[in-house]
Amino acid sequence: MSHTVLVCDDAIFMRTMISDILAQAGFEIVGEAETGREAVEKYRQLKPDLVTMDIVMPDMGGIEAVREICKADPDAKVLMCSAMGQQALVVEAIQAGAKDFVVKPFQPSRVLEAVQRVIG
Amino acid sequence: MDLSRYAALFVTESREQLGVCGQALLEWERRPTATEPVVTLFRAVHTFKGMAAAMGYANLTELAHRTETVLDLLRSDPSSGREIADLFFRIIDALEQGAGVAVDGGDPRLDFSPLLAELDEASVATAPTGSWAIPAPGGMPAVVAPEVAASRLIQVVVTPGATMRGARAMLALRKVEALGAVSAVRPPLATIEQEGFDGRFSFQLAGTASADQVMAAVRGAGDILDVTIDAAEAERVAEAAGRGRQIRIDLRRLDALMGHVGELIVARARLMELAEVSTEPELRAVASRIARVTADLHGEVVQARMTPVWQVFDRFPRVVRDLARQLGKRVRFEVEGEETQLDRAILDDIGEPLIHLLRNAVDHGIELPAERARQGKPEEGQVRLSAASDRTTVLIRVSDNGRGVDRKRVLAEAIQVGLLPAEAQDVPDELLLRVLGRPGFTTAAQLTDVSGRGMGMDAVISRLRGLGGSVEIDTQVGVGTTFTLRLPMTLAIVRALLARVGDERYAIPLAGVAETVAFHSDRIAALEGREAYVLRERLIPTVRLRDRLGVTGPRPPGRQPAVIVQIGERRVAVVVDALVGQQEIVVEPFDAPLGTLPVFSGATILGDGTPALIVDPAALV
Repeated sequence: MSHTVLVCDDAIFMRTMISDILAQAGFEIVGEAETGREAVEKYRQLKPDLVTMDIVMPDMGGIEAVREICKADPDAKVLMCSAMGQQALVVEAIQAGAKDFVVKPFQPSRVLEAVQRVIG
Repeated sequence: MDLSRYAALFVTESREQLGVCGQALLEWERRPTATEPVVTLFRAVHTFKGMAAAMGYANLTELAHRTETVLDLLRSDPSSGREIADLFFRIIDALEQGAGVAVDGGDPRLDFSPLLAELDEASVATAPTGSWAIPAPGGMPAVVAPEVAASRLIQVVVTPGATMRGARAMLALRKVEALGAVSAVRPPLATIEQEGFDGRFSFQLAGTASADQVMAAVRGAGDILDVTIDAAEAERVAEAAGRGRQIRIDLRRLDALMGHVGELIVARARLMELAEVSTEPELRAVASRIARVTADLHGEVVQARMTPVWQVFDRFPRVVRDLARQLGKRVRFEVEGEETQLDRAILDDIGEPLIHLLRNAVDHGIELPAERARQGKPEEGQVRLSAASDRTTVLIRVSDNGRGVDRKRVLAEAIQVGLLPAEAQDVPDELLLRVLGRPGFTTAAQLTDVSGRGMGMDAVISRLRGLGGSVEIDTQVGVGTTFTLRLPMTLAIVRALLARVGDERYAIPLAGVAETVAFHSDRIAALEGREAYVLRERLIPTVRLRDRLGVTGPRPPGRQPAVIVQIGERRVAVVVDALVGQQEIVVEPFDAPLGTLPVFSGATILGDGTPALIVDPAALV
């Protein structure tokens, strides 16, 4: 059975790109979210094996969303998607419970490596 | 569970966390609207609270908890906390002192009620406009782990060129936290978080996880080039951590080692002399081999004593900030070259002189904001502390862009006390320093309660001399002042020129020697009433070591050599009876008896077993 993924990003471009990379590698994209709040809700409903999470999103940012998700499910596997220069936020996300991170612009191989590390 | 054995670890770690707090507070003051400093502060206080709670220190925990609560409120609007930054500084101090008291069993006696009352007021004033969840459990390094067995030092290298190596490192740390308590992270977490490191970091891991598990956890963070696990090193670190914050190796052991190496070097010198005149080829081969190995050994021991200067520099931002605040000045403090290495013994000794120079810069250098504005300068002054090294010397600079030293005032006072002739028009830079360094000499501007009473600069200079270093001043009215400290990288062993005067030999450290020349008596001239020597069309003041040392008796016939001693820009020609050669000498601590000429910085034993005094080049120029 393939792993299920929830993709969270406020930019449709990024969601599409991440979904494509993961779908081609055999993952099943079970949902997408545009805001942190939506991410938290969809995580609760879908219980995906993996979440990719943008850091900066309207209506609850990615870090707070990670915190919420991990509070409800300490084993949640969240992969942060960050832009260059956001290291302070990445560190905060890690403290909040994120399991790994990738830095935009994405290279598909890097994304998949990170996903493998998280899914283990 | 017996908690006492964690006490030392608690003290070390909590001090580290409170250090992070101090840095974050400074950063917050600089950028009052930024969120990160508050986040960092919150995190560090939170970590401290967790440790204090684990140790069962109720009062410390309470103060940390209430502080954390107010910080939580401030997070949504950091600038609203501006007024109470000072309160936070006092709290951090109280926590630090309290931690020391608590480990001695004094927590029940700690009374933080005045601070708590102030915190209550602050939390009322700070409207709760946002909430801030406490980080997920397990997110912080736990100081107390019940399964503590042995601690191991783990050294990790993040792949060069990887993006966000700091975040990668944090991820690795977080993954290994699942295996056991993580402590003594180097460089400090705050440095790693800000990407202020070269990708190498180390930490101690307690617990019983297998090496494979540790490897897998660290590598699980991705972009990890190398992981090494060193149990023996960690034991030493742990042992040292109990005694002092950042001493990683027992200094006494290193001192003893250095002592032996010193003796070996002295013996080597003698051996080489004997081999020189020997006809035994095998003896000569063995001697030269011993010479090489001794040099390598010396190099290793010197290396082992090297310590990055940040271990001393770390406390300076706070000193500068507090003083600036007290004096109503605005000062930006910048530090550069914190990784520069210096012999631990020297490093321990320069902290006080540097604090004196920094205080001097803030107090006398930087003007009040209004005055700066009047002069068209930015209201915020700048004080910089930088360290850099070349092969054998470390340069530490303290500079400010303040008012500079008022030469006219110094000139007037110098004439008044007879240090300069009445007709003198200006104080040369070099004299200025010596003038400032004279015991009891002071200008009115120096006589404030902050910077001491005229003894300060003198103490700085004599301390540096004692270390075989020197200090120079470069100052321009209205532009600022720079003090340059020149220090040997290591104390114990230096290469020196041996010169004979009368019946004695004297050692002149090569670091202060520019060249040696033959002293032609037909090239003697006069410079400002002093005897000078013409060298390549430049006049250099001469110092006749015979006269300076009060040596009598017949002078050897023939032409005398002169040693051109140079410190910074200043040169003198030191006339001696004869040059004997060069040798590595072991500098012995020198307690100059009262009345000793201020020409010597130490003593040494030469290769043939006879003692010799070490001439301080800086005292001659």
